[in-house]
Amino acid sequence: MTLNRRRFLGTGAAATGLIGLSGLPLRAQNRVLNVTAYGGVWEQAIRDCFVAPFEAKTGATATVSLGGPAQWLAQVEANPENPPLDVLIMTPDLAVLAAEGDLMDDFTVEKLPNLAKIPQEFTDACLGKGTYFDYGVGGITYNTQVVAEPPRSFAAFVDRVAAGEFIASVPSISYGPTTIFFLWALNNALGGDVNNVDPFFAAMEKMKGNLVYWAGPNDFFNHLASGEADLGIYFDGRTWNHVDEGVDWIDFLNPEEGGAMTAVAIQKPKNASDLAWDYLNEVLDAGNQAKFAEILNYGVTNTEVVYSEKLAARVTPLAEANLPPYAEIARVRNDWVDRWNREIGM
Amino acid sequence: MSKAAPLSDRSRRALLLAPALIFLAVFFVMPLLDNSARSFLTEEGGLTFARYTAFLTDRFYLGVIAETVILSAAVTVISVLIAYPVAYVLVRKAGRLSGLIIFLLIAPLLTSIIMRTFGWQVLFARRGLVNQWLVTDLGLLDAPLRLLNTPGLAIAALVHVLVPFAVLSIASVLQGIDRRLEEGALMLGASRFRTFWEVTLPLTMDGIGTGAILVFMIANGSFVTLVLLGGGFQTLPLLIYQQFNTTRDFALASTMSTILLVIALACLWLQLRLVRRQGV
Repeated sequence: MTLNRRRFLGTGAAATGLIGLSGLPLRAQNRVLNVTAYGGVWEQAIRDCFVAPFEAKTGATATVSLGGPAQWLAQVEANPENPPLDVLIMTPDLAVLAAEGDLMDDFTVEKLPNLAKIPQEFTDACLGKGTYFDYGVGGITYNTQVVAEPPRSFAAFVDRVAAGEFIASVPSISYGPTTIFFLWALNNALGGDVNNVDPFFAAMEKMKGNLVYWAGPNDFFNHLASGEADLGIYFDGRTWNHVDEGVDWIDFLNPEEGGAMTAVAIQKPKNASDLAWDYLNEVLDAGNQAKFAEILNYGVTNTEVVYSEKLAARVTPLAEANLPPYAEIARVRNDWVDRWNREIGM
Repeated sequence: MSKAAPLSDRSRRALLLAPALIFLAVFFVMPLLDNSARSFLTEEGGLTFARYTAFLTDRFYLGVIAETVILSAAVTVISVLIAYPVAYVLVRKAGRLSGLIIFLLIAPLLTSIIMRTFGWQVLFARRGLVNQWLVTDLGLLDAPLRLLNTPGLAIAALVHVLVPFAVLSIASVLQGIDRRLEEGALMLGASRFRTFWEVTLPLTMDGIGTGAILVFMIANGSFVTLVLLGGGFQTLPLLIYQQFNTTRDFALASTMSTILLVIALACLWLQLRLVRRQGV
């Protein structure tokens, strides 16, 4: 067969047409919802606790996109008229940015009946365009075989690490939530505020000889397991996950000043499918949230949730955690990061 | 209806190249241009050089650029110094073991870089294997050394990842050298060292250059190893990641990535010139 220009162009046009048409069936199926999840156990928990009841009740299907909030928000920003995602899982500061950018829909009890059972302050913290459904607390996790008497407060943590009693593993600035659950929390405990982070940087200067930095949660566990660090700043839920996996030498304590509540927000981009409301209502449902909490060892926000005895002993009560001023932090965060880069390094 | 004329060889070649060129244009060139354009645009869409001015007049950022280049250069030099003898043994001495050596060189590349980097953590932690030998098994030290999160270990880990690229580049050129040239030099009274220095080494400059360019380019953009092993390095890839992941300052990230690209291209041009100046 001779390949001439006409045949080539014809084949090319047909191929292009087929590629273009291949997207049509999916677009035509408006009963498909695209929701988001972190990887690992998170994904399975999202599928089991929220996707499954959503599909059972609506007859629709939900696909789960894995990734992280910064990536998801960028995807929505790139195409706000036709967002590729219908439900976003967000960090609280990004939720504020997305709300301020008018990219998200308002959350109301009319659209989400279960929103009535979520503390109003969590919806207010997302400027009414989202709410929190899950939270962890950043505190002190330690190796019980090495640390017999752990520091009970952030202040004691700083003093004892600075004195060389312990090597501490703390989050690096390359980990997104660091500015909230470490920088703000430690600064707040040491008397600083959003407009004055000198106490935090002074504490880091004192401790710098005895610090190692973790870039991701698994990294922290490796530091403790390999003996590189004795204790560090970590999340309650992740600590209990390690315990459930059979690690019997690790423990967590919420510092006396109170750790930072590190919440997980959910939002619906404007122009996303209205099916998202049905899914979001399942996310805020007490029964589904209780199941989710059991899997992940994190607290959830529906006030009607009753934790099992085991989980009740583990979840840090909301009253014992500090809710960071996420909107204020979002406005100064880049200055904090820049100062960290210059004074501490990456 | 007249029969269509067959394509000329030139048109046929162009058609065969077209898919690859279109793919590169759409998925490589256009995103790069879009990324660079973002760094020159204000929020209102006007033209600005302010980000470049701010970046290139700030001592902190200039330090980051210098650290990126120096780290890449150090990794490149060490990798080539290690790779050359390995390549030499592989081509000239290994005989039937050459297959095994190539397997050992390539096998680590089949493992995720994250797993290899975690391996370094396990080996060199305070209670890792190396410290266990030094403190417990051999009794050479009273207390474990702090080896992780040091510049030396981060460089060593990068070298470990990148040496195979240099070995394979050098070995392929070494393999092609006409041995009669070296034999001629020896017969004319040159010592083995002089023969290597004045005949073999110049003839392998092409391989060294290719290996050095490969290693430098990859080290220049290396990210995972530095994130996981620390070392206190502040490099452009780490800062770029931070702009996307933490501060969401995409325009500044575009500025940095454009600068990183220019640095990489400038170093590539310089290295090619240096290699060509050797007369290869």
